[in-house]
Amino acid sequence: MDARGIAFGWLTLAAAGMVAGCQSSPAPQDMARTSLGTAPADLQLMCATAAAVPSGVDSSRILPTSSSQLDATNYRVDLDAAGSKFTCVIDSSGSVKSIGPATAAATPAAPVEAG
Amino acid sequence: MNAVREKRSTSRLGRLGWLVAAGIALAPLMALAQTQIYDSKTGKWVNYDKKKARQLYARNKQLPEAFQRQIVPFRTAEAPGTIIIDGNQHFLYLVQPGGQAIRYGIGVGREGFGWAGMVRVGRKAENPTWTPPPEMVARDPHAAKWAAGMPGGRPDNPLGPRAMYLFVGDSDTIYRIHGTIEPWTIGLDVSSGCIRLNNEDVIDLYDRVDVGAKVIVLMQGAALYKGV
Repeated sequence: MDARGIAFGWLTLAAAGMVAGCQSSPAPQDMARTSLGTAPADLQLMCATAAAVPSGVDSSRILPTSSSQLDATNYRVDLDAAGSKFTCVIDSSGSVKSIGPATAAATPAAPVEAG
Repeated sequence: MNAVREKRSTSRLGRLGWLVAAGIALAPLMALAQTQIYDSKTGKWVNYDKKKARQLYARNKQLPEAFQRQIVPFRTAEAPGTIIIDGNQHFLYLVQPGGQAIRYGIGVGREGFGWAGMVRVGRKAENPTWTPPPEMVARDPHAAKWAAGMPGGRPDNPLGPRAMYLFVGDSDTIYRIHGTIEPWTIGLDVSSGCIRLNNEDVIDLYDRVDVGAKVIVLMQGAALYKGV
């Protein structure tokens, strides 16, 4: 391999390293997280806003009560709309995938009867 | 003002019927929550606990980047000037125009808030007085010295240089946003239930927030249902 080939090889490796570095390091604002994997605050509030129509409750009276990360891009947000429970699924871009009344199976706080 | 004593009084909070109360069973599970920060040197996420926080603060003389005050994208229908408190992530957001927010790192309660709700800044105070609760007075000679209240402005005042008092209507809740004399505790679950910022940040927030500002408190321990 001549000198130009070696130089090209090093440049390629350096470029690959830079790309890999960019891909693996989160932005400064994302350099902290909780092991619980809760939804970002803005996504929780977007779900609360989106629940106003199906619940018939003003969005100022709808509160997120729990959230969890479903997969790499989707979050589940549980909501309390003036006493009625709703569940929202939202992706990291802020697109609401689904929203509706919480089912019994989706309400883990409900008591479970053994046997 | 008797901030700490009020924090211990749960009966007042119980009267705030509009708050969404957390299940009693949630409190023991709070221990499952673990703050993690990204270590740029190793490229790995590492647990952020009291020991780690003290080490980093002693070495760097500042908080990890994630907990430093910064402008972040924030998509919301809430009006600029609204405060949003995310105790899980240890962030306080002050909504700005243009889909942005100023994000501050916070320290929150050891056992979580136990509630979520919408409150407002009912009062602000510069150099607030700190009055230790009776149980602290009983066991701590230093606290006993200040049983009648430590004047604001002292470098050892636990409330720091500013406090914002959270109200429901005209009623004072048991919660405040205030400064701290332990800046390394930002990002941790350490307080008696209030929201603490480092002193530079609480002064910055104080100057930006008006009395009457809306405050949305998201449920702490909000992912405890995960996997159930």
